[in-house]
Order: sequence, then C-alpha cells, then structure tokens
Amino acid sequence: MIKLENITKIYRTKEIETLALDKIDFEVKDGEFVSVMGPSGCGKSTLLNIIGLLDEPDSGLVELNKQLIDNYEDRKTARIRNQMVGFIFQSFHLIKELNVYDNVELPLIYRKTPPHERKKMVMASLERVELTNRMHHFPSQLSGGQCQRTAIARAIAGNPRIILADEPTGNLDSKIGNEVVDILAGLNKSGSTIVMVTHDEHIAKSTHRIVRLFDGRLVG
Amino acid sequence: MLKNYFKIYLKIAAENRLYTFLSLFGISITIMFVMIFSMTITKITSGSGPEKNLKNIVFCWRAKSIPTKNGKKSMGYSISRCGKWISETHFKNIKSADVVSVYDGPESWEFILNGKYQKKKQTRTDAEYWKIFNYKFLQGRPYTSEEVTNGVNLAVITRSLSVMLFGQEKDVLGKTIHYNSTDLVITGVVEDPPLTDQNAVGDLFYPYTLNKYNINSDDYLGGFITAFKGKSPKQLREIRKEVQDVVSRLDVADTTQTIFIPGPNSQLEKMMIGYGDPEDYSPGMSVLKYLLFALAFILLPAINLMALNFARIHERGEEIAIRKSFGASSGMLRRQFLYENILMTLAGGVIGIILSYLVVILLGNSLTISLDFFSRVPVTFSFNYKVFAASLAACLIFGLLSGFLPAIRLSKMKPALYLKGGEI
Repeated sequence: MIKLENITKIYRTKEIETLALDKIDFEVKDGEFVSVMGPSGCGKSTLLNIIGLLDEPDSGLVELNKQLIDNYEDRKTARIRNQMVGFIFQSFHLIKELNVYDNVELPLIYRKTPPHERKKMVMASLERVELTNRMHHFPSQLSGGQCQRTAIARAIAGNPRIILADEPTGNLDSKIGNEVVDILAGLNKSGSTIVMVTHDEHIAKSTHRIVRLFDGRLVG
Repeated sequence: MLKNYFKIYLKIAAENRLYTFLSLFGISITIMFVMIFSMTITKITSGSGPEKNLKNIVFCWRAKSIPTKNGKKSMGYSISRCGKWISETHFKNIKSADVVSVYDGPESWEFILNGKYQKKKQTRTDAEYWKIFNYKFLQGRPYTSEEVTNGVNLAVITRSLSVMLFGQEKDVLGKTIHYNSTDLVITGVVEDPPLTDQNAVGDLFYPYTLNKYNINSDDYLGGFITAFKGKSPKQLREIRKEVQDVVSRLDVADTTQTIFIPGPNSQLEKMMIGYGDPEDYSPGMSVLKYLLFALAFILLPAINLMALNFARIHERGEEIAIRKSFGASSGMLRRQFLYENILMTLAGGVIGIILSYLVVILLGNSLTISLDFFSRVPVTFSFNYKVFAASLAACLIFGLLSGFLPAIRLSKMKPALYLKGGEI
C-alpha cells in the first residue's frame, strides 16, 4: 500500500542544512497498522508528511496504492491526498471557525461530492466516533477527546485507504488516549491502513509492527 | 464550497474586528468617493432640467488661431471661444442640424439691491436657444427671432431672480430690469436650471443683439458658443462633418492664420478637453488618462488592504495547512482568498453606496466638485445602472487588486510548517 525507496529529505536554511531523513526504505502492506517511534527531531513527522505528499523528498521514490508519485504537481498531489489519505494530528488541527459537521465535511467538499451524499457520509463518520450529538458545536466548545474524535471523523469521512496519525494521543490523558487508539484499531479492522507516530510504547505495542527512527535513519 | 468560504469569512470578520473595520473603512470611503464623483459626472453628462436632451446636442465652444505668414505658422497662438462672425455667419447655417443656437455667456452680473451686494449670471442668446434647451416657463414666453433680430429690449429671468427682485408677486411680466444702462422688459419667467447643468446657465437672459460690443467682430475668436441639436447620434455625426467642412474651407481661404475648432463636442468631450489646447485632445488618451487616474485612486487603498492581508497571512497558516492536507489545491485556496476579499470589498461597497447617499442628502449643495478652473458643481445622487455598474466594477477591481498577491503567497505556504509548529 505504501512504499518508500531510498528517501532522503534535507531541510535547508541560509546557514544550515538539516538531514531529516537519510536513505529510508519503508513499506506498509495493505491493512497493516504500523507505529513509528523515535526521539523528537528524528524525522517521524517528516516521514508522515512525505507519505501524505505534504512534503517532497530530495531523492527517492514514493508509491501509494501501487501508484508511483513521479511528479509533485500541486493539483495531482492534492487529489491523491483527498482521495487516498486521511490525516490525524496531535493538536487536532480543526478549523476553529467551523463547527464539527463542517470540519468533517471538508475533504468531501474538495472531492466535490454531491450534497445529499456528503451529508450521509458525514453523518456515518460522526456516528462511528459517537459525535452526532455534538455536530453543531464549535471546537472551542469540545473537550480534547471530542476534538480528536472530530479529527478522526474528518480523516475517515471520505473513506481513504490510508490514515496517517501523528501522535494522536499526545494531547490526551491515557483513558481518552486509549479510546482514540481503540477507534483507530476498529478502523484498521475495517480495512484501513494506518501509520501512527507515537511516543507511547504501550500504545505502539498494540499495533501490528513498530518502526524506529533515529537521526533520520530506520533503526528497527 | 462557497458556503464554507462564506462561513469562514463571516467568522474571521467578526473575530478580527480591527482588521475588518480598517478594511471596510478604506473600501467604503473609496467607493463613496467613486460613487459621488461618477454620479455627479453622469448627471452632468446625461443632462437634466433644461439639458434633458443633452445626448442630442453638441457644441462649438473653442477655437484656436495660429498667425501664419508665407505659409509658416508662428510660434504663438490664441485660444478662446468662437467669434460672433463665424458662429452667426457660418455655424448658424449648418443644414444637417435641426436647431442651431448661438449664445454668449454666462457672465457675472453684480448689482446693489436694497443696499446689499448681489451677484447673478447673465446670458445673451438668440431665439433658438429656447428650442435647444427645455426651460420650463412659469410665466410668459421666450423672445422671438424677430425680436432678437430687431434688438428689442426684452428679458427672460429665473424664478429665483424674480423672487429676489419682486418678492412673491405672481405676475412680473411687463416689469423692467435695469441692466447695463438699458431697461429690459420681462417677457418670461423660467424655473431655475439645476446647478449640475453646465450649458443652460444663467439668471437673466436677453437677446445677444443688444450687446453692441460683439456686433462688428469678424474674428474667429470671441465669446460665443454654438449649440447644434439633432434627433439622434447619427445626425450628430453628420453635423460634426458639416461643421468641420466649413472650418476647413475657411482655413484654406485664410492665409493670415490657421484655425482649429474642435468638434462640435458633446458635454463629456467638453469636460475632457477642458481649458487646454483643443488640438492636443485625443479621445483615447483622455480616456486612458482618466482610467489611470481612477486606477491610481483605487490602487492606494487597495495597496493598504493588501498590506493588511499580507500581515494576516501567518494567522491563517494553520487553516491553510489543514485545507491542503485534506485536498485543497493551491488554485482552490487562491480562489477562496479572492472570494473572501471580494466579499469584503462588496460589503465595503454597499456601505460606500449608503455613505455616498447620506453625504449627498446631508450636505446637499454645500459639497461641490471642481470640474475645471471656473466651475464647481454640487454633488448629486442619481442612482442609475451605469453608476451601479461602475461601483460594482470598482469593488471587484479593488477586491482582486488587494487579494491577488496575498492569495498567491497564501497558496504557496508549506503546510508541514503549520501542522507541527515547525518541528521536523
């Protein structure tokens, strides 16, 4: 489902160059639930951004669902992200001006899904994370757990094949964090391929496989 | 998608009140000025009151004379209104026009009434003047061609002059006005022309043949205006051609000077030519000049709004990154930002239109626009589709100008930086 070959990413400023990923080979099979672990600054988020086509590698190949990403033309990458990838972030990253329903609807709007179908899909996502009773609330009116469930609903609204979760439990207490991981596990059982960055060894162990990064290299 | 953008726009506008206020203030004041200016110009050029048929009237009002010796033009030249001779002898006989009128003025008329200094305007006309302009006669009648030819001491006055001189007396016909050592008998009283009229101007009108000063002048230059009235714009083209043919023949026949008489011109052309050299006038350049002026006028507040938009780009970094993550392309984001900007400018435009209406209603005739060195006209509210279209166009140009560059910058932002607080 996801295949990275010899990926290198260097961040450059006027003064310094930072090697974020150094010749990484990484593969995730269809239906797998993989954890990525490592210390801060080791390149975990960069790896997710490259898988999600939010960032372009300096060298190497990216393949998503057997589709080789041979150019990073803006419209093409936007379409692939929209149809194939769902993101979940540590800080939820909900649009604070929009309510729960409108936030979840976002990827479907960019997909130009017809309104009646969009409504069905949004409601299905909200039911899956048990948030239909909060759909008219704004992010500022929700708890951390509810925000993250909204973010999960948004990520799965368009039924993407891949879910990329960047420390989804990082801002939640352990009880709520476990609930979120349970939801992700449920999604994985339904067929989603999930790559999750986490610092929590306990949560990582609940996934199929753990990948460790150190200084931009895979170490295990 | 537009609904989603609209919700965002409303929320952002409500949350960033200072930004919204500054943006709307700049836009609405600009639109207000554009509205007031364009409405006043529209009112002047489309005509009202006695000038209600202005679209079918053109004027010979300027003449340029360059002394010539042995076929060589002198360096100096004179520009003035047309002389009585060319107006009366040549222009008056233009066949393609339905009506031709020759008149002189308006000029200032100062007098003392009941110990108080008064200032009014007097205009010397022929009888056709009253056929060119549609004055509303409240009493009496205009003077006839025969009376003009015979130099009968008659006058038509405006209602305001009548009230000033005779109070609320209902019948002033037959009374006399002492003007320039002559007693003029009042033959008619007309409604005052609106102040936006630039051609039908005056408080006291009398036959131009009474003014001995002009009688024997045979120069091309003088103080006269000739107005030609046709039935349609097509007829105006024929009038222009015939007048220019006459001018060319006179020019060829005269070896002592070269003459140039523009037009005859419409009111809009008159305004664009102004008091400059009429030979320098080019319609294309004039339109370009005014368009550039209008663009510069709109550009200044647009740059201000653009600067505000640039300053706020980072505030919206997270939202843009989220949208990109879930499938928005750069083009979609550019359109969103432009849409928001156009909404903002349209909101400012509506406020500007309301403001312009309020300013005109509240300040009335005390607020004037200077058209040239000599005339100022009061601002006026005349809502019509042209003015509305001009304002709408101004709003759209404003929105596009102020939103375009920030929208490009916004759409090129790297989402990864805003999704992880800059951490790699």
